Amino acid sequence: MDPAIQLQDIKRTYALGKTQVHAARGVDLTFTRGEFTALAGASGSGKTTLLNIIGCIDKPDAGRVHVAGQDVTDIPLHRLAALRNRYFGYVFQTFNLIPVLDAYENVELPLLLGNLPARQRRERVDALLESVGLFQHRHHRPQELSGGQRQRVAIARALVTEPLAVLADEPTANLDSKTGNDIIELMAQLNSSRGVTFIFSTHDHQIIRRATRVVWVADGTVQEQSPSDRINGLSA
Amino acid sequence: MKTVLSIPLRNVIRNRRRTAITLLIIVFGAMALMLTGGFFVNNFEGLRERTIRNGLGHLQVSTEEYLKSGEEKPLANGIQDYRALQEQLAAFPHVVGTTAEVNFVGLISNGEKSEAFMGRGVEPDREQQIGFTTTLKEGDALSLSPAQDGDNEALLGVGLAKTLKVTVGDVLTVLGTTTDGSLNGIDVKVVGTFSTGIKEFDDRALKVHLATAQRLMGSDRVSKVIVKLDETLYTTQVLSTVNAAGLKVSGSALRARPWSDLATFYHQVVAMYGAIFLFLGIIIAVLVVLSSSNTMMMTVMERVQEIGTMMAIGARRWQVLTIFIIEGAFIGSLGAIIGLMASALAIKVINAAGIVMPPPPSFSTGIPLKINFVPLLAVGVFVLVTLTQTFSALVPSIKAARLKIVDALRHI
Repeated sequence: MDPAIQLQDIKRTYALGKTQVHAARGVDLTFTRGEFTALAGASGSGKTTLLNIIGCIDKPDAGRVHVAGQDVTDIPLHRLAALRNRYFGYVFQTFNLIPVLDAYENVELPLLLGNLPARQRRERVDALLESVGLFQHRHHRPQELSGGQRQRVAIARALVTEPLAVLADEPTANLDSKTGNDIIELMAQLNSSRGVTFIFSTHDHQIIRRATRVVWVADGTVQEQSPSDRINGLSA
Repeated sequence: MKTVLSIPLRNVIRNRRRTAITLLIIVFGAMALMLTGGFFVNNFEGLRERTIRNGLGHLQVSTEEYLKSGEEKPLANGIQDYRALQEQLAAFPHVVGTTAEVNFVGLISNGEKSEAFMGRGVEPDREQQIGFTTTLKEGDALSLSPAQDGDNEALLGVGLAKTLKVTVGDVLTVLGTTTDGSLNGIDVKVVGTFSTGIKEFDDRALKVHLATAQRLMGSDRVSKVIVKLDETLYTTQVLSTVNAAGLKVSGSALRARPWSDLATFYHQVVAMYGAIFLFLGIIIAVLVVLSSSNTMMMTVMERVQEIGTMMAIGARRWQVLTIFIIEGAFIGSLGAIIGLMASALAIKVINAAGIVMPPPPSFSTGIPLKINFVPLLAVGVFVLVTLTQTFSALVPSIKAARLKIVDALRHI
């Protein structure tokens, strides 16, 4: 199968005061279509940095990034807006919904930015809100929804452009365990029903168990890649 | 793009307190400009109309010779058959009426003291017909009928009357030069005192009947014929028509001049107050920009994570920029509209209050505080305030659009 996303020898260093933080030290990773992958590791291990580089919202200091066969490494971030809109959906730990827009409008926003015709927008948004169980709440503003409902809206927004991959950064960190499990369950269900690649970062072993592939990240390096059943065995 | 465009509008509504503070600044700024500008315009208009009604008229017709070379001897280049000229002028559209005038200078004496004066021989009946006014301070106006020999009436400027220590009913001697260069004198009876509103004029002003002035100068000519129109705005139009008609009486070519060429004091006042208004306008605009920039900066800082999210999901820089510019323009135009409405209300209240201002420099009487609602100024204020607010949004929004997405997403 053709790789959907490919990272080659990615290096990324941040300056934190006078300290240099090596968030990625020569990472090689390949993601194929339809994966349900967890980037697992402790806080500060470099998971978010990798997600940002995969999602073209950050640039590596060295290495190459390929998205859908296109080398995007040397394209400035502000010129990758259309590519981000077309290939990626993002789910954030803090939901990051636009507070003045209701659930429907939040989900519709990426399609508006991608200039999709109104009829197609309506069909896709309605279908996705139905899929995440929030059609009845489509006219509610974010502050009128619970944390779990907000994250469902965020997932619908991430999927609405029918992206190559949905990138979720600690999607359950701000939710209680039951709601977190429900969200991961929903993501897994959408992954299997729509065939969309899901890459999510987490340090919660309960969540890691649900992944079909787990990438362990520690100190900016990918230390282990293993199927989830092996993780289950290790962590049991 | 309806939803994207609605984001700034919804933000304005959502952040009510911040919007209210910004609107308050804009409304006060717009009101300050409208009230100050309206006050000046009212003063300019009042001064203009007062200048015209005090005897300047809208047009003044004189002989070409008088305008070219003046006069070596009084009335040497005056208008001979001025009645015929008045009839011709009355036929032009927008002309309400005309009055002839003799200008002369000389000395006026109470027997103990003499003072130089600037005299005007006028036609009180015609002046009354065309609405020229004299602000009497004491006594009566000149009688409407022309004075008979030996019964010369005079109105003195309040300053001149005070200098000569005369009261109504006193008889003074007026000395002047006749048209052949000899000295002549006549007695006049003071019927009243008047004020032009300008102290320097009041200290020298003398007003007599046209016939009295002609008798003093030994001539049946007049210096000029003054034309009053129904509206000041027709001045240029009537001036062109009159001068194009090539008026002539008794073989002398005539030419009309507009009030604006003759009202030096008016132009000085307008220039001075115009500069003051421009200065005030700049200060107000700067204050609005500074205050609004601060508010817009707060708006951007509060929404950095939102900006990061939008850019992550595919918003271009120009789209982020547009959101904030629309927000600035919306608040600006809303504030301008409220400001203009509030100005209109304030103007009504102030004008109804009947407040009298102290006399300005060179004026001897106070002026009523009246403010005009100036439509052209309202358009200018609307454009200025909207552009100012939009500009205030521009700088922080450019910064916002240049933020790194990862930094914006991490922003708390």
